[in-house]
Amino acid sequence: MQGITKNDLIIRIGGEGGEGVISVGDFITQACARAGLDVYTFKTFPAEIKGGYAMYQVRAGTERLYNQGDTFDVLCAFNGEAYNMNKAFLKPGTTIVYDSPSDFTPDIPPGVHAYPIPMTQTAKELNNPRAKNMVAMGALSVLFNIPVESLREVLTTKFSRKGEDVVKGNLAALERGRELASALGKTDPWTIGTPKSKREVIVMSGNNAIGLGALIAGLDFFSAYPITPATEVAIYVAKHLPKRGGTLIQAEDEIASISQVLGASYAGKKAMTSTSGPGLSLMSEMLGMAFMAELPCVVVDVQRGGPSTGLPTKHEQSDLFLAIHGGHGDAGRIVLSVESIQDCIDLTVVAFNLAEKYQCPVLLLSDGSLAFSTQNVPYPNPDNYKLVERKRWNGEGEYQRYKFTGDGISPMADPGTPGGRHIATGLEHDETGLPSYTSANHEAMQDKRFRKLKGVINDVAPTEVDGTGTADLGLIAWGSTIGVVREALQRLRAEGYKVKGFYPKLLNPLPAQQFEDFGASCKRLLLPEVNFQGQLAHFVRAETSLRPESYTICGGMPFTPEMIVNKVKEILA
Amino acid sequence: MNAPLQPHPHFHQVDLKPKDYKNEATPSFWCAGCGHYGVLTGLLRALSEIGVDPNFLVSVSGIGCSSRLPYFVNSYKMHTLHGRAGPVATGVHLARPDLAVVVSGGDGDGFSIGGGHMPHLARKNINITYILMDNHVYGLTKGQCSPTSREEMKAAVTPYGGMEEPLDPILYMLTYGATYVGQAFAGNAKLGAQLIKEGMEHKGFSFINLLSQCPSFNELDTAVVFRNACNQLDTGHDITDLSAAMQVVNKAKQEGRIPTGLLYKVDRPALDERMAALVERVGGHKDYDLKKIIDLARP
Repeated sequence: MQGITKNDLIIRIGGEGGEGVISVGDFITQACARAGLDVYTFKTFPAEIKGGYAMYQVRAGTERLYNQGDTFDVLCAFNGEAYNMNKAFLKPGTTIVYDSPSDFTPDIPPGVHAYPIPMTQTAKELNNPRAKNMVAMGALSVLFNIPVESLREVLTTKFSRKGEDVVKGNLAALERGRELASALGKTDPWTIGTPKSKREVIVMSGNNAIGLGALIAGLDFFSAYPITPATEVAIYVAKHLPKRGGTLIQAEDEIASISQVLGASYAGKKAMTSTSGPGLSLMSEMLGMAFMAELPCVVVDVQRGGPSTGLPTKHEQSDLFLAIHGGHGDAGRIVLSVESIQDCIDLTVVAFNLAEKYQCPVLLLSDGSLAFSTQNVPYPNPDNYKLVERKRWNGEGEYQRYKFTGDGISPMADPGTPGGRHIATGLEHDETGLPSYTSANHEAMQDKRFRKLKGVINDVAPTEVDGTGTADLGLIAWGSTIGVVREALQRLRAEGYKVKGFYPKLLNPLPAQQFEDFGASCKRLLLPEVNFQGQLAHFVRAETSLRPESYTICGGMPFTPEMIVNKVKEILA
Repeated sequence: MNAPLQPHPHFHQVDLKPKDYKNEATPSFWCAGCGHYGVLTGLLRALSEIGVDPNFLVSVSGIGCSSRLPYFVNSYKMHTLHGRAGPVATGVHLARPDLAVVVSGGDGDGFSIGGGHMPHLARKNINITYILMDNHVYGLTKGQCSPTSREEMKAAVTPYGGMEEPLDPILYMLTYGATYVGQAFAGNAKLGAQLIKEGMEHKGFSFINLLSQCPSFNELDTAVVFRNACNQLDTGHDITDLSAAMQVVNKAKQEGRIPTGLLYKVDRPALDERMAALVERVGGHKDYDLKKIIDLARP
């Protein structure tokens, strides 16, 4: 089939949870990545345990992809609900592939291309009713040039564990889907581009990538407590950490998780936990102790819609206040945030390195859409990561755990070290660790603990500036919003707009001078973020002379490039 | 890492007297006549008898009068948050099963704010020793009812008398699945030392309730009251019989007595042993090639 090659194509598959929507999305993603295409997926799960509307969107292209895109080019509707949920987005030029005959008959708006495929009926004819999704996938592969050889390979690998019959049955359904689609005349112009070459890549979700980053960093101990949308971090680690001789325990609550992590850290091990907003709230008291007792630890917060129980399966970037300042007393933390799957691996390693070096809690913020988004990244070579170990006492002289030093970092002593016996306490203490409530000591100790953190900014890569020269508008973004801004800026520049981007990954301590330098090159500043109050904008206004305009949404979905483009045009009009 | 160690490689390594385990750097903290001194005496004796290398001993506590105990012990130690000593100790122990870990804390710390952790220490059979220093009152905050206070106790926040049924820590720990449960009057340091020693030697979660008078804030449960109520268990008591242990406690309670001695002991694999077995089963080791794990994510 001939068509106009599109640099990237977005296919949205919708249906009832359990109908194989997620499998089709995964197969297409894997096949595209295997063939050398870039992939960026986006999923929504039903809140229900069984059934409900499930959606999987695959964006695949020949160029680098930074986000999930604006909307779909192709909708594949497994049932009437999937059609109803998405019919508002069926704009002229888009395409719908749908099950027919079925429980619904779509109204095809003018300019929309439609391909009825008898998915359910064909699967029944093949005596393989569960293969409805394979028929659909076969049809999609013909219509939009999804690399079919890779698709067959991925499918064979996946089903081979279930036996040869299952492989054959699914391949047969795939081929039948291809025949059915081939028989239809192609009316839309789109086909997916041909990959330039095969590449050494892996494909991972954000949650899994954080788990991998932790393994690369030398994780020894993980304490888990289930919470949406962070649980998959623990699931990944639970599967692989024992292979590395490490320990994972599922705790009775998040307070126990962070407590166990600090115990393991005191025992000399690299330890972490992962959670979402409600869990982080519960951990805040113990994070204060980690700062006070100077215990390294890494806490991942996969943010979801809040406040309170909020929107557990939805996307939001609203835990920044909690991450930076949640907890009583003057307590410091290092806060990092990730943009992409690549960051999920790399910045998790950075988080461990910083925790070890600065002997304090490090929070890594991810978010609900990255948690389940899968993307291809170059195959990571673990040997290329520089790993940092905590400074340990050399055994000379009399040991003082909290000794005042120039940079505020005092060597630690693992239990078992002769002469290194000491107490880790949440009480204010002197250099030996014994309680001391004198004003001079408290001021000196607070100064020591905060002085340490001054080095952090130089240990993290300088904040990326996207663009050069003077801009009419500069955009500051954090988390997965960065990827959306990157594409928006590309489009705006193509139309002649003078715009720049600034993408901080270290959010506390805030690299204020880098913000100032960026701000000096922009006439105006815009800060889009997915929360109601404009949380990063708040910190930027507090800690720099900059006064960015906030652009906030909190509807449970990420920004799209189009939203950013339109907002910028509105501001610069 | 995490190789099972029986019972502890650092027991019987040193020949130290009880006073050698006493940290003299910390000034006295408890009131004159406080039962906690008896707990400390018992603990120091037990440590001496075990001959544990203090460098491989970790003493962990939460918040409260009793949670100051680690300061008086020569060991590695953590003075953590109110109610959280159990999970912190769990982390220390699971990360380094070669360390001997002892938790000490009060009745409020363990069974009020930290009450959610107690079932899991017991049922998971975490190989640590938990010494409850049970004085039936909040002492550090100067006298409020605790979960083990008598119903009739008048205290700072219950000026008209309490209204709540006290709980029995022993019955809870038996129900939760603790594999070693003992009880003594703190003033009986000999029995306290014996229970702590055997508890530390026990491979699994050991819970020892030491009834400890608070001369400052509990007028009902004085040293004399505790001493008179405490009754050593019959020599015929079967420590492997869970329901017998529960019956002994219930019967004594009806009679206004407190049974002391070892109430229950059973052998069940501790969590660290199970985890070590898992690592062995998957052929795990520190140098396992990460690329084998990364390869699983190839498309």
